[in-house]
Amino acid sequence: MGKKKQKIVLPPELPPEVPDEDIEVSDEDVQFVNQNLEYAGFVSNLDTHSITKHVNRVADANEGALESMYEKRLKRKLENQGKEENVVEVDPVDALPVKTLDGQLYYRRVVKDTKKPEEELQEGESTGKDSGLVKLTKAEKRAKFKKLRKEAKKQSNEEVQQTPQAEVLDEVKKDLTAEEASEEKKYKLAELGTSLLADPESNIKCIKEMLEISKDGNSAIVILGLKSLLAVFKDIIPGYRIRLPTQKEQEMKVSKAVKKMRFYESTLLSAYKAYVQKLVALQQHTVYKRVAVRCLCTLLAAVPHFNYRESLLFAVVNNISSQDDVIRKLCCTAVKSLFTDEGKHGGEATVEAVKRIAELVKDHNCQLHPDAVEVFMALSFDEDLGKQQKSDLDNKSKSKKSKKRKGMDEPNNMPDNERKKTKKEMLSKAREEVNADFKAASFAQDPQERRRMQTQTLSAVCQTLFRILKHAAQPTSEAGTVPVSSGNHPLLAPCLNGIGKFSHLIDLDFMADLMNCLRRLAGNSSKLGGSSDNSSSHLTVSERLRCCIIAFKVMKNNLDALNVDLQDFFVQFYNLILEYRPGRDQGEVLAEAMKIILCDDRQHDTQRAAAFIKRLATFTLCFGSAESMAALVTVKHLLQKNAKCRNLLENDAGGGNVAGVISKYQPNATDPNLSGALASVLWELNLLMKHYHPAVSTIATSISTMLASTNQICHSHVSPEQAYLDLSKENESLVQSINIKRANNKKRKGKDGVPVKVGSDLNLTDVIDETKVRKQLSEHFVLLRDIQENERLRSELERTTLYVNLYEDYKRQKKRKTKQQLKKCTTDK
Amino acid sequence: MRPLDEKETTLVFNKLHKFVGGNLKNIVLENQSLEGPDPNPGHYCFRLQKQRVYYVSESLVKRATNIKRENLVSLGTQIGKFTKGGKFFLTIQSLNLLAANAKHKVWLKPTSEMSFLYGNSVLKGGVGRITENIQVNDGVVVFSMADVPLGFGDAAKSTVDCRKMDPNGIVVHRHADIGEYLRMEDDL
Repeated sequence: MGKKKQKIVLPPELPPEVPDEDIEVSDEDVQFVNQNLEYAGFVSNLDTHSITKHVNRVADANEGALESMYEKRLKRKLENQGKEENVVEVDPVDALPVKTLDGQLYYRRVVKDTKKPEEELQEGESTGKDSGLVKLTKAEKRAKFKKLRKEAKKQSNEEVQQTPQAEVLDEVKKDLTAEEASEEKKYKLAELGTSLLADPESNIKCIKEMLEISKDGNSAIVILGLKSLLAVFKDIIPGYRIRLPTQKEQEMKVSKAVKKMRFYESTLLSAYKAYVQKLVALQQHTVYKRVAVRCLCTLLAAVPHFNYRESLLFAVVNNISSQDDVIRKLCCTAVKSLFTDEGKHGGEATVEAVKRIAELVKDHNCQLHPDAVEVFMALSFDEDLGKQQKSDLDNKSKSKKSKKRKGMDEPNNMPDNERKKTKKEMLSKAREEVNADFKAASFAQDPQERRRMQTQTLSAVCQTLFRILKHAAQPTSEAGTVPVSSGNHPLLAPCLNGIGKFSHLIDLDFMADLMNCLRRLAGNSSKLGGSSDNSSSHLTVSERLRCCIIAFKVMKNNLDALNVDLQDFFVQFYNLILEYRPGRDQGEVLAEAMKIILCDDRQHDTQRAAAFIKRLATFTLCFGSAESMAALVTVKHLLQKNAKCRNLLENDAGGGNVAGVISKYQPNATDPNLSGALASVLWELNLLMKHYHPAVSTIATSISTMLASTNQICHSHVSPEQAYLDLSKENESLVQSINIKRANNKKRKGKDGVPVKVGSDLNLTDVIDETKVRKQLSEHFVLLRDIQENERLRSELERTTLYVNLYEDYKRQKKRKTKQQLKKCTTDK
Repeated sequence: MRPLDEKETTLVFNKLHKFVGGNLKNIVLENQSLEGPDPNPGHYCFRLQKQRVYYVSESLVKRATNIKRENLVSLGTQIGKFTKGGKFFLTIQSLNLLAANAKHKVWLKPTSEMSFLYGNSVLKGGVGRITENIQVNDGVVVFSMADVPLGFGDAAKSTVDCRKMDPNGIVVHRHADIGEYLRMEDDL
């Protein structure tokens, strides 16, 4: 209080006052003003009233009083100094000193002493003089200012206007002082922080000061304060949860060390609470939002075991689907770190976080950013989560039995002497107590507890995932009216991924519902007839493909002794291939679907397999090279597995008996079983053999010659996914192209049994690389037009060198051949 | 030989629908016969002759009109019989038709094929593969692992329940199997 008063009361020294008449204006000045009239305008606009008000706030009071005031102030300062010195000399041990922000030491007694006269003074001032030196409320202040203005008007005749220069100087000074103050505060923060880190127990009080500083009006300082506090807290928070002593405990007598410890803990806790509350409050401000969230996230990741975790979690999870990318990413990483190192908090935080996310999803009706659900992917459960429960149940029943046995035994023991029994009981009791203590003390988690947590987490996760699925599967009434895009279900993709990941943990009872949901999502266009367009268009093709994939994954993971055939999903996939557009949809998803649906399944109906072969072969004609490669790998795989389908490779359309009931291929059939694909011929392969991409043409030829070499089938290990990725990435890295080349070589060697010219293959891949590189180069040079000519020349040069090289190669080969022939001739002879 | 009346038609179609579901449309309307010298392919239709229901191509029906009713033994493919009580049941000859359009399928392990062909029901232990989403009492067509149709029957359990059953539980109650061609040669 004292400081404030001083600041307000002491007006800066004004320059010597000069009457208007005395001021001499030079001709040059007048000229300058006349020339720059536009800029001089502000002078006339200056609010002299406010300026005078600011500068002569004190001067408005009657002069006599003012003078006396100044005198008093001076006296008091002197007095204070004297007293301080006196007290320090006389009684230094009496109380702990308090260090203020400007680094002065105040001793308690001194402070009290000085306060009294100050207060007396203030009272005297406020009662004795009307002029307001004491600020109370704004309203009062305003009223006083009005009064002052009136008085000032009266006095204006006598008073002399202040020159504007003084005003400017004053402002500059203020700025300077503000800067200095902020610098000072920064240093102060640093000092306090380092002292805290050096010895937290004795310097714990500094934390409050830091908190005070971070309440500053200056945003830069606040941010700095928050950050330094974060660093301090991260370091000094203990590895356990602080429990404040109860009333009873506080009353009990304790040793000094314990007292000290308690004091330390309680201050730390209260400071931490204030800090967290402040952070939560600051989230709302746009200026501090990022800093606050960053602090919250780091705290949550660093000290999830500590008190006030709930508020931290609440704040972080609420921000998890924020519009701001930075904030969202921060929150996500924080939550993920929670999920991954559960050792820090023993799993409780995981349960809370997952439940919180579940609530969030529920509240927002599944309209959140996908990241909000993607964090679930970081969760991990024990593999034997389900099995343990069973064994536990067994244990329970066993224990019940054993209890019964005990009960049976006891009456037999009764006749034995009582002492033994009591002794035994005592022993067992003691043992139990020891065990309990051991459990409490040891950090090792109780497996039962852990499992309980995990089941809770899992149920919350499943709840969320199923909610999203149900929401997506709901027949939206707006679907017909509003052109709906995939943005309608932002959470669907991560949700599907999550289901795929946790599918082995989902209970069998949910399975039927889950499959129904997925089936509806995959889009039953055939059943709904006219309204099929709406239902199928509200999910994109890749999303529906993903639904199929997930269905197969779920089935595969829960495959226990029963091999279930997902006919509906086969039909969906069969139709989805038609809707696939290379540019629009994700090729990786298609490749994955081919792998999981067609390659991984062990058996297929002949009809169905044939239908898929035919359809895939047809669509390789219009897919890109990568997709067609994946499709061809799948086709090959299917043909290898289903010997009957190799009829498709024959030149003669089977029809009749071979095709079963349907004697003619119907390309538009929606059900693969009814398409009669066995009656068709794979003429597409002939075209594909002339594909521009060497890898595709190679595999096409290998497929078409499969029939001739049925005996030496070796299974290729390339999955369609792999093939797709290889081809889509190959243009950059040479390594991958080499891989493909090897694969090609292998296949060729395996399938055809025909000697392959390695040299020619090498050349082919090299040529591809060069053309691609050239394309990229040309793209660059289009941007830099100046160097275009240069580029042309270079490319010509390259081409010529290539020709020369090729020619040389050719020559060499020819030589070799002739040599070989010569040799052969000689050997023949 | 006469077309089915309305009541008979509903009976037959209900039974077929149990096995083929939406593909019934395919059987009745879209299936085209290429028999006979007619340039345009005809359709198939159902005819009743001596309490037996036949699935016949139209061209064949036209030709069969030349033969007296009591002299006509059979035409086309027999798919079922009306009992004296007026109920309709599918006979084994309809298997090809059903197998091509079946909705629900069960594939038998090679070891349990024989047992099924002797007229026993399908046990869970014998199931090699099963279509997803079968409900209780749905019509199921039974295949061998090599996709040869063996017979058909009623589902005793839904697919979901099948997972939890013990291996001796019945999955499909048998209606007909191709063993009947030998066992009941005279009755067919």
